[in-house]
Amino acid sequence: MDIRVLGLGNVLMGDDGFGPFVIEALKAGYEFPPNVSVIDIGTPGLDLAPFLIGADAIIVVDTVRADGPGGAIRLYRREQILKHAPGLRLGPHDPGFKQALLTLEFAEMGPSQILLVGAIPALTVPTPFLSRPLRNAVPVAVHEVIEELDRLGSPARAKRGVIDVNPWWERAA
Amino acid sequence: MAKITIDPVTRIEGHLRIDAEVAGGRVTKAWSSGQMFRGIERILQGRDPREAWLFTQRFCGVCTTVHAIASVRAVENALHLEVPLNAQYIRNLIVAAHAMHDHIVHFYQLSALDWVDVVSALKADPAKTSQLAESLSPWPHNSRMELKAVQDKLKGFVEAGQLGPFTNGYWGHPAMKLPPEVNLLAVSHYLQALEYQRKVNQIVAILGSKTPNIQNLAVGGVANAINLDNDSTLNMTKLYAIKDRLDEVSTFIEQVYFPDVCAVAAMYPDWLSYGAGVTNYLSVPDLPLDTKGAAFDFPGGTIMGGDLKTVHEIKSFDEPYFRENVSESIAHAWYDGDWARHPFDEDTEPKYSKFDDEGKYSWVKAPRFQGKPMQVGPLAQVLVGVALGHEPTVRWAKKTLATAGTVAGVTLGPEVLHSTLGRHAARMIRTGVISELAKKHWGLLVENIGKGNTDIFNQPTFPSGEQRGFGFHEAPRGTLSHWIVIRDAKIHNYQAVVPSTWNAGPRDEKAQPGPYEASLVGNPVADPELPLELLRTVHSFDPCLACAVHTMDPDGTEIAKVKVL
Repeated sequence: MDIRVLGLGNVLMGDDGFGPFVIEALKAGYEFPPNVSVIDIGTPGLDLAPFLIGADAIIVVDTVRADGPGGAIRLYRREQILKHAPGLRLGPHDPGFKQALLTLEFAEMGPSQILLVGAIPALTVPTPFLSRPLRNAVPVAVHEVIEELDRLGSPARAKRGVIDVNPWWERAA
Repeated sequence: MAKITIDPVTRIEGHLRIDAEVAGGRVTKAWSSGQMFRGIERILQGRDPREAWLFTQRFCGVCTTVHAIASVRAVENALHLEVPLNAQYIRNLIVAAHAMHDHIVHFYQLSALDWVDVVSALKADPAKTSQLAESLSPWPHNSRMELKAVQDKLKGFVEAGQLGPFTNGYWGHPAMKLPPEVNLLAVSHYLQALEYQRKVNQIVAILGSKTPNIQNLAVGGVANAINLDNDSTLNMTKLYAIKDRLDEVSTFIEQVYFPDVCAVAAMYPDWLSYGAGVTNYLSVPDLPLDTKGAAFDFPGGTIMGGDLKTVHEIKSFDEPYFRENVSESIAHAWYDGDWARHPFDEDTEPKYSKFDDEGKYSWVKAPRFQGKPMQVGPLAQVLVGVALGHEPTVRWAKKTLATAGTVAGVTLGPEVLHSTLGRHAARMIRTGVISELAKKHWGLLVENIGKGNTDIFNQPTFPSGEQRGFGFHEAPRGTLSHWIVIRDAKIHNYQAVVPSTWNAGPRDEKAQPGPYEASLVGNPVADPELPLELLRTVHSFDPCLACAVHTMDPDGTEIAKVKVL
C-alpha cells in the first residue's frame, strides 16, 4: 500500500507553513515503513496532481479556513473534501488541492483514502515563524497522522530520546 | 458602457484582478492589479547569501526551481564565480524538465478549457474523432476504443450531475467554436497529459529530490556527487532513467501537444489577430554551455515595436545591456513614493490605499527596460530566436505555422504570433525546442563524465565590503531576474523581478500600460457576465497565480463565478 503524507503550505508566510513544519516534526520524531513517504510539498497548486498519482492513501496536513480559534485542528475525509471543501488558505494551493483531486478522480488515478488534517491559522504574514497557537497545535496534528498510519496498517515507530524540531527556515538570519 | 471586474474570491487568496471597460462589444480600457502584498524579499536581509536559494524557491510553490536557479546565479555573478560544466548541464536538465512540465500543464490543465467545450464532446462520434486524429498525428492512443472510453466516463460524470474538474467552465458559450470531435480529442489528451507530467517530474526527482522544491543546488555548482560505480550517487542507471523519460516526453510533445495547438489555432483564426498588446519583447539567454555563462544554447535579447530587425542580443550572464537598463516604477503601485529605480536601489515600503484606476491600484510594481514596457514569456523568446536565426526555433516555428495554415486552409506568416493564440503557439514551439535541447544536454553531461570529469562544485569565498550581482533565468513564464547586494558576506538587499511582474504590472509614471492591460484592449466580449474572451487573453500569458476569481458588477454584487488559473 502506497501511502503519502504531504505537508502543504508556504514556509515564508507565517502560519501557512504549518503543513511543512508538521512534516519536519514527523521526520524528527518517527521512523516510517518503506511504503510511507513523508514529504514537505510546499504550495504546488495544480502541480500537486503528479505527486498524488499512484497513491492508495494520502494524509494531507494544511491550514484550513473554518470557524474556530487559531490552532484548532479539524479533520476531513475524502467525501467532505470533494463535496464541501473547506477553503484552504492562501492562493497558490487553492483551488489546487481540490482541483487536483477532482482531476485524478476523473482520470481514475486518484487515491481511494484521504485524510486532511487542517489547522485554523492565527496569522499569515511574511515571516518564517509559526504563531504560538499553531506551534502548540503541531503535536496534535502529528498525533492524528500517526493514528491514521496505524489505522492504515503501516504504523510509524517513535524514536527515543529528546526530539528537537529545527527546520532550516526557522534558523536565525 | 459596461465595466467588468474579475476579482478573487477573497483578498488573501487573490493575486490578480482584472478590470475592463467595454463599449460596443469590445474592451476599450483595462487595468491589471496584483491583490496580494508579498515583500517576502525582506526575510532574506541579513542572511547568508549561500542560503538565499532555499528561501527564494519558496516564494511560489509552482515556480520553485526557477527562483532557486536565478538566486544561485545572482550570488555567483556577484562573486565572479564560475560553475563546473557538469553542474551547468545538471542544472540545464532540471530547467528543461521543469519547463516542459510547466508548459504541458499550462496548455492542458490551465487553459485548454478556455477553447474546448467539454460538454460538446458528448456529441462526438468516436470513430470520426479517431480518423481525424490519425490524419494529424501517428500517436497510438487516439483509437476509437480509447476515445469511446473517455466519452463514456464523461457521460457518467454529467449524468451524475457533476462535472468534477470541469465545473465552472463556460460550456455552450457562443465563443466556443470547436466541433464535437475536436473537443473529445482534447478531453482525451487532457487526461493523457497527466501521465506525461508525472514522467517529466521524475527527471527533476532523480536529479533534484522527490519534492517540488529541489535540494541539490549550491552557490558554485550542484550537490549531485557523480560516481558511476555507486548506487547512491549519479550513475549510469539514473542517467538512462532520465534519457528514457526525455524520449517519452518528446514523443508526447511532437505527436500530441504540437498537433493540438495547431488545430486550436486553425479553428480560432480570429484569435490570431486579438491580444497583441505590448510588442516590445524581452528574453534572456539560457542553457549555458560553458563555465562562466558566455555561451548558450537558447538565445535572448530584445525586440522593439514588433520589428524583428531591431533585435539586440543579450550575450552573457554579465551583460551590461541587461544590467543597466532594468528599472521598476511604483507610480501606480501601493508603495511609498512614486519613483522609478534600478533593482539594486529599490526598497519595498508598502503603503496601501483604495483601488484608484487613475492613481495607485496594484501591489505589482511596473518593470521597464530603457523606460519601456516589455512583454516577456515564450513568445518573446521565440521571436528573439527567429530574429537571431536560432535553427531549432526557426524550424519549429515554420512547422507550426505551416501545419496550422494547412488545417485552416490559409497561409500564416510569423506576424500572427503577435496575438493571444500566438502566445500558445510560441509556448508549444519553445517546448519542442527545449525537448530537443534537453536530449542534447543529457548527451553533453554523459560525454563530459565519460572523459573522467566529475567536478560539480567550486567553493565560493566572500570578500569583505560590498558586492552587487544579478542572476537571470528564462523561466517558463519569461525573464526572471534576481538582484543581490552583499555586504560583509551577508545579504544587504535582495529584489526579484519576476515574469508576471513584467506582464501583469500596472501603468508607469508615463501612464504606459503593462502587457496584460494593453493586450485586452480591442478584445471582443460577447457577454459581459461571462467574459470568457478576457480570460483567454489573460490566460495566454500563463499567469503564475492559481486563484479562483469571481465577477463583480460595479457596486460590488457578485454576478458570476469564473476562474483565472
